[in-house]
Amino acid sequence: MSREFIESVGIPTIQVLIVVMVVPLGVAYLQLVERKVLGFMQVRLAPRRVGWHGLLQPIADALKLMIKEDVIPAKADRFLFTLAPILTVIPALAALAVIPIAGRPFALFGYEVRPWISDINVGLLYLLAISSLGIYGIILGGWASNSKYSLLGALRSSAQMISYEVPLGFALIGAMMLSGSASMVQIVEAQRIAGWWYVAPQFLGFFCYLISALAETNRVPFDLPEAEAELVAGFHTEYSGMKFALFFLAEYTNMIVVSSIVTVLFFGGWLRPFPNVEALVWLENGWLVVGPLVAGLFAGWLLDQKLGTGLRLMFAGGVLGSVLGVALAATDLGGWASFQLPAVSGAFWFFLKVSFFLFLYIWLRGTYPRYRYDQLMSLGWKWLIPLSILNVVGTGLAVLLAA
Amino acid sequence: MKGETVTTPRTAATDVSEILRRLLLLELWVGLWVTLKNQFRPHITVEYPKETVDLSPRFRGMPRLRYHPENGEELCIACHLCEVICPDDCIHIVSEKKPEGKGKRLVSFEINYERCCLCGLCVDPCPTKPLTAIYMSHDYELADTKREGFVAPLKVLLDGSQQKEYRE
Amino acid sequence: MFRSETMDINMGPQHPSTHGVLRLVLGLDGEVVTDVRPVIGYLHRGVEKLCEHRTFPMIEPLTDRLDYVAAISENLGYCGAVEKLMGVQVPPRAEYVRVILAELQRIASHLLWLGTHALDLGAMSVFFYTFREREMILDLFEAFCGARLTYNALRIGGLNDDLPRGWTDRVRHFIDIFPEREKEYEDLLTVNRIFMGRTKGVGILPPDEAIGLGASGPTLRASGVDYDVRRAQPYSAYDQFEFDVPLGKHGDTYDRYLVRMEEMRQCCRIIRQALDRLPDGEIKAKVPKYIRPATGEVYHVVESPRGEQGFYIVTTGGEMPYRMRFRAPSFVNLQCLSTMCRGRMIADVVAIIGSIDIVLGDVDR
Repeated sequence: MSREFIESVGIPTIQVLIVVMVVPLGVAYLQLVERKVLGFMQVRLAPRRVGWHGLLQPIADALKLMIKEDVIPAKADRFLFTLAPILTVIPALAALAVIPIAGRPFALFGYEVRPWISDINVGLLYLLAISSLGIYGIILGGWASNSKYSLLGALRSSAQMISYEVPLGFALIGAMMLSGSASMVQIVEAQRIAGWWYVAPQFLGFFCYLISALAETNRVPFDLPEAEAELVAGFHTEYSGMKFALFFLAEYTNMIVVSSIVTVLFFGGWLRPFPNVEALVWLENGWLVVGPLVAGLFAGWLLDQKLGTGLRLMFAGGVLGSVLGVALAATDLGGWASFQLPAVSGAFWFFLKVSFFLFLYIWLRGTYPRYRYDQLMSLGWKWLIPLSILNVVGTGLAVLLAA
Repeated sequence: MKGETVTTPRTAATDVSEILRRLLLLELWVGLWVTLKNQFRPHITVEYPKETVDLSPRFRGMPRLRYHPENGEELCIACHLCEVICPDDCIHIVSEKKPEGKGKRLVSFEINYERCCLCGLCVDPCPTKPLTAIYMSHDYELADTKREGFVAPLKVLLDGSQQKEYRE
Repeated sequence: MFRSETMDINMGPQHPSTHGVLRLVLGLDGEVVTDVRPVIGYLHRGVEKLCEHRTFPMIEPLTDRLDYVAAISENLGYCGAVEKLMGVQVPPRAEYVRVILAELQRIASHLLWLGTHALDLGAMSVFFYTFREREMILDLFEAFCGARLTYNALRIGGLNDDLPRGWTDRVRHFIDIFPEREKEYEDLLTVNRIFMGRTKGVGILPPDEAIGLGASGPTLRASGVDYDVRRAQPYSAYDQFEFDVPLGKHGDTYDRYLVRMEEMRQCCRIIRQALDRLPDGEIKAKVPKYIRPATGEVYHVVESPRGEQGFYIVTTGGEMPYRMRFRAPSFVNLQCLSTMCRGRMIADVVAIIGSIDIVLGDVDR
């Protein structure tokens, strides 16, 4: 096999396999994080029984869902009922293909590895197209269940997703105009050259995107399709076992996807903060802070548990750890780290930003009530669409004037 | 005193600060701050079988019987008052005349915990003062696997049930 | 060629937000509710009939189970009715303690309402915060009477037991910290634009219709009708305290919310006054061992957290009542539901059920 074949086909195939295998696990743990964070926000303990502090809970949940009876309602359309979760989960996973997690290709066993699966020049369009496919699964699932609650949930979902697709697309156009490219990698590169993250010039776009993305992924405060207080569970009321797990997987994968898009388009993807400021170059080694920080937090927490001092020592340990980490990063391990491991640095910043947005999603879920259907529509049509169009026009004028 | 109206007027915001507040989504940030703050408050839940909550001294668990503090016999004088007042009819007492002296003696005393509503009324009329013969214990783990397990005979009432095994 | 029809949907009896076993048959035109038919009776236990075969002290545990979220109010109403029937004068200390308990119970009940109402609207965390505070009140009740939900705490003629040592200090501690906790709920809900959007103008109950349907409690007062049993026909020691009766203006869900929030503050005010002036002395009047009221009938009302809770007792001189009848505020307030819901959306139905704060134990009895 030629080297070219391996680099262009073999490695992407391995990457796809990794994504398909790692993402479900990540989703399972994202769900654990969600339960933990919500639990702490709600002054309770969250899962603690399975494994140390509930660390094996996602595995147990996944096992349970796998061996659970897969009920298909008698009056359901069996074919569509089975097809729906598959149709939902595939686009969600496919969208990950164009997300770059680091900047430069790096060498592994003598082969060049790119930290993205594919860098197509219409990456953004691909994302928009593929993410709007997911809605079919939801509509079909709701309809095929032959249940009134599911049907209502599916109707809500379709109306919601179609309405919010528009501001979502418009919100992205601003970033595309600034960078002059629809390729995800190019957009980040443009941000590096510009010297700022696009969130600064595109704040309006970012804001519109964030809200539309919440609505697209059916998260609080826009979780009407599955509003458990009204529609029991919305479109997946009748689903159980593995089919339910697939819907679940799709929802959380979508969360990861939209967080990644926000990161790439508005928060400089793998770039460190202030990418052109020389004095902050040690931030490139930000990942070196993590080790001491986590160690400090953990040691402090252990001592806290022993001495019963609340969380004070944990806080102190965190401060100590981060100071140590910053010092470590500043030394750059004698100039070795930033040059040898650019991919690690990029991935670190990328995942940090994505995690922040995932946390934000959970945080919002813990805080806000849910919109009503008509309010959701009026928010989308009367506010977000005009705002995002305004953003497009404004950006266009600015680009024109600058040129 | 008249009632006092609590609602705010429902007109459009004219105040500058009000418009600014709405535009900057201030109240949404306040909400986020509240949940973030509560994240660092101590948790209030208890991991039940491992730890249990503290019960107050007056806690009303399953009703039990006491031994006489001095002679070690049961304190109950078989007056049937608790049986009479029980709203759920869950106490069954069989008594007989004492062979010598006055009064009655217990033959059997049964409480059916399937019926008991833990209201504590049985303790009120109990005539053995200051220590009542029947009292509300701190046992609250009522679950059992067999129906018969809920009917507590005299011996169980006096000596208490076994601790459940799953307690670590 | 095209045919459109309304869809009937069964909400409940097992549904996350019907607060128990309420079943609503909703006629839906898309998302718009055209018809609401509440179906009740799933929790009917025949308490009124059961009472005819219980002596008077034995009835009190049954009243616990009417409105199980506010058992003290039921106890208070029932004991008050029997005392009225027998002409018993309850000692002042007992009356003050009863008021403290009833007002704590009102806070606890409103906290439960607030948590579930917010949960129905999608705000999860409020539920846990209100339960944290409600837990403190339940601990106080446990310390006083030994139970956390079905208290059976009062006795005909007064109280069963005096206050445990240190109890008043714990109550003081609670009413000291409670206002700032309430501020937190308000931060999460009162000013939140989503919450306002979900509640303002939703489920309007005009005052004349509220009176016509016999609504009472916060549901009535939110429509602007100034009627509170504690003020209109004071019972227990309520004539000795100063408090405001919060009133709404628009009769919508948001007003019902505001009225209850303000009521909790007024509860704290009453409790503080009662603690400051708590008299010493007897806790139970002299009542005969076997309670046999003379032939007669009595109707006694109290202001339970849900509204006007009435107890009607007919006696024929025996030790059991000849007939018992409860006026259940939840049952009457539930009748306002179809007026409030018609023409609204399905999500509003959930908000409205939450706002009239029904307890199915009280509705079905």
